[in-house]
Amino acid sequence: MFKKIWNIFIRDLKVNMREFMTFWIIIAPLLLAVGINFISPSINDTSVNLALVENENPAQADFFDDFAHVELLGDEQKVEDRVRARDDVVGVLPKDGGYYIMAQGNEPESIVEYSKLLNVLYESDVKLEDARSEIIEFDRTVPPLKKMLVNILLLFISVLTGMLIALNILEEKVDKTVSAINVTPTSRSAFILGKGFTGMFVALFSSIACLLITGFYNVNIGQAALLIFSLTILSLIIGFIQGLNSSDVMEAAGSVKLLFLPLAGSIAGYELLTGNWQIFFYWSPFYWAYRANDMILSKSGTWPQLLLFIGIILAICGAVYAVLAPRIARKLQ
Amino acid sequence: MKLLSSFKKELILASRSFYFYIEVIFSLVILAILLFAVPEEISTTSTQYVYLNLPKEVKEIYTDTMLESVPGIEPEEVELEADGKTYDAQLIATDEEEFYIVDSEEAVRNLAYSEQVIGAVIELDDSNQLYCRYYLQGYESTRLKNLLSILFNENMGVLEERIENQEVVSLTTDYEPLNDRENTLPPLVAFSSCLMGMFIMASYIFLDKNEGVIKAYAVTASPIWQYLMSKIFVVLVTSVVSGLIIVMPIMRFRINYGLFLLLLLSTGFFASSLGLLIASFYNNLAKAFGAIYFLIILLMVPAIAYFIPGWDPFWIKIIPTYPLMQGFKEIILPKGDIAYPLIASAGFLAGGIIVFAITNIRFKKTLSV
Repeated sequence: MFKKIWNIFIRDLKVNMREFMTFWIIIAPLLLAVGINFISPSINDTSVNLALVENENPAQADFFDDFAHVELLGDEQKVEDRVRARDDVVGVLPKDGGYYIMAQGNEPESIVEYSKLLNVLYESDVKLEDARSEIIEFDRTVPPLKKMLVNILLLFISVLTGMLIALNILEEKVDKTVSAINVTPTSRSAFILGKGFTGMFVALFSSIACLLITGFYNVNIGQAALLIFSLTILSLIIGFIQGLNSSDVMEAAGSVKLLFLPLAGSIAGYELLTGNWQIFFYWSPFYWAYRANDMILSKSGTWPQLLLFIGIILAICGAVYAVLAPRIARKLQ
Repeated sequence: MKLLSSFKKELILASRSFYFYIEVIFSLVILAILLFAVPEEISTTSTQYVYLNLPKEVKEIYTDTMLESVPGIEPEEVELEADGKTYDAQLIATDEEEFYIVDSEEAVRNLAYSEQVIGAVIELDDSNQLYCRYYLQGYESTRLKNLLSILFNENMGVLEERIENQEVVSLTTDYEPLNDRENTLPPLVAFSSCLMGMFIMASYIFLDKNEGVIKAYAVTASPIWQYLMSKIFVVLVTSVVSGLIIVMPIMRFRINYGLFLLLLLSTGFFASSLGLLIASFYNNLAKAFGAIYFLIILLMVPAIAYFIPGWDPFWIKIIPTYPLMQGFKEIILPKGDIAYPLIASAGFLAGGIIVFAITNIRFKKTLSV
């Protein structure tokens, strides 16, 4: 039985690799991980964007550059044009021996307040070298936004590999090869399970590679591996349900859109809602997966907590499978 | 006429498929979430832990000054836990900020570490001037660290007075911002109604490829572009229905629906043509999945810039979803810029026509893949 499942998995992997599809699906999350590495430093360095007149006061431009992003433009009209542009840029222009802030009027209040503070500090002749402070750091190098993006990427991998499994199963259904399996010594369930392994393999490989690429190589690998394994079970369940319940790719495409709803809802619920409201997301395996990922990525979790979260994910998957098992068996006939 | 007839047939077929109803249900769920789960004003509070290592009199002056700046707020005695220990603290909470004054430097350090927020110890230096020791996580930007470093260089009261008197000239004075619920509409409409059109369009084509419809079409009198266009029309109808379900109950009759539909249709046409183009390179959805998946993620990146003010790098602005979301935002803004969505619509329409023309040539050549 296991040898047959293994053979189907290897055959499926070979076929998929030949068609470039699996290779591409493995590569895409890795490119996204590189993308996260690329954008997160610039997001973390987000500050106020100030537009000044070039050579009007180089000392002021140097001062602002230590605290904000500075753009130097030819004259006051160009600064005004820049401020009028779609993004949030604030101008600092000379007037009566001092400076005033030129805003477009649609910026968030915090941006204007920050610009006012910087100009006041400059006009008060405050200098960085006279700082009356000391900074002690905890040596955490990964900003929260990057952690959130990596966490979302891990959940995406899980859903999309689920979709891959579904499409693999669907293809066999459309080609009527599930029926053809009846005349071979392999059982239908072994055949379907073997097809599911390709997605599980992709999920496992992509998730670990993404963690390494995004710099999370010092997380607890044991905890991460266990969680990724539980996420692959989630992918498998998603794939089975989608693949066996859909009669064509349109239905599968529509249902993947529906799947993004609990996924996005669980993330938004965890990040934005207070503790009391989170109870409304306890039914969602994505909620527990996101929470467990967050714990591992921030290196703040304990084994009992993690095992509890994984237990809940597997219990939800198991319950869903138990409810749908008769239907799945019927669909396999 | 043939185009109209094909469109009618496609529409009848779509109305019988499960997918069409998934779209409607999805839009209704999004609407319910917006109406019942997303508040009009999302309050975000920042937290700070401070230990005032100061003589009693100075400490009182410092606390009183702080309370004067937030009139009507009374400090509250609370207990905090970090690293298995309990600490007493005084909480001064406003709508934007939670300021905890604790009794020791150890409490500041442990709380700042466990809660991943800024901690500060304020004391007097040798010349009896205020001196601050910050506890930061380590990932804060150099610019933020620089600002924190100099905040104690000048008297806070003097700084606040100067900030109050700082002249600010606004180029527009009649700007009315969107509330948080309305502000979430542009990305939702962009992704739910327009962008998914790409995915759905590709799925439609793969379904027909699988059933041999495209080859069968080649032996009819209709040109292939009419077949493709009739498919696009169906996706556009779905986009309009789902877009209006989400937007109308929230914006009611406060927006220009002509402009909204123009942008929705032109972006839907562009996205659908892109979906067609991708579909022309593969013979089933599984094989096209990687390309579609990567493109959808790439097109979602501008949503990060949409929600982070001040982060608008150049490369974000050339991803089509950036003008798409900004265009929808201008439409729903009370006094939005009409020119921007018009230009964006023209751009998407032109882009869609070019992509459609290329796709048509590819389909004419191959008839299947």
